[in-house]
Amino acid sequence: MFAIATGNVTFLSGGVLMHHRMEKFMDESPAKKPKKTSDQAFDLWLKRGLHQLFDDVANEPIPEELLKLIEEDRRD
Amino acid sequence: MTMSFHDQVIAILPKLRVQALALTRNRAAAEDLVQDAVCNALSAQDSFAPGTNFPAWMHRILRNRFISDLRKKRETTDIDDMPASFLSTNAAHEDRIVLKDLDAALARLPDDQREALVLGVLEGMSYQELADVAGCAVGTAKSRVFRARRQLEAWMIGEEHVGKDRLKAKASTLRQQSDRRLEEKTVPNRL
Repeated sequence: MFAIATGNVTFLSGGVLMHHRMEKFMDESPAKKPKKTSDQAFDLWLKRGLHQLFDDVANEPIPEELLKLIEEDRRD
Repeated sequence: MTMSFHDQVIAILPKLRVQALALTRNRAAAEDLVQDAVCNALSAQDSFAPGTNFPAWMHRILRNRFISDLRKKRETTDIDDMPASFLSTNAAHEDRIVLKDLDAALARLPDDQREALVLGVLEGMSYQELADVAGCAVGTAKSRVFRARRQLEAWMIGEEHVGKDRLKAKASTLRQQSDRRLEEKTVPNRL
């Protein structure tokens, strides 16, 4: 789970993002040294950014033709 | 209850889309790639051993299809294909600019690094699963995610990564300078 602490980072484009600290970026062994706050902030920001870029693609309805293709194959 | 082969294909479609978009950087091309991968999977379903890792098998088919298409085409892909959420008026202007920067930075990454990062971060795949999908060693998968993340950080924050020693030396110099300034300020007060 995430442990949250705030901090600001300014990006090249001029956007200032409120950042949060998080314990995990991906699955990492607990024996590892904890990441620096700036790394954790970037990881969380990156995760959010990727979600914004990719989530709507993942959530779009499946095209009918593709479902039809799969169902036809199922019947065969 | 175990899912049938076809149910598993349907269930994994959203994740395949994410992988396809990560690889192609183009929505239309991603849709085509998913469809082609599904066709390949349906015709090769006899080669899938039930009970084994279906997601890894399916993601690998999509990846192989992408590579084989790439070999045929050998042309650059379109990165100016922003998701609709970018253009939504709900998103703050600054956020949209930063997201656009992130999208452009992602496009600059090598395909295998971008794919590993996106599947790792968004789909929560372990390094072992990433290695299974890419057909590489676990260390290679780990290195791809690490490099992608480090490169994005350098591009987005505008700081090239410096080695720990250089960083320590920099910090030490700054501390010394700050101490000297503090001394200069406090010495006249004592006199």
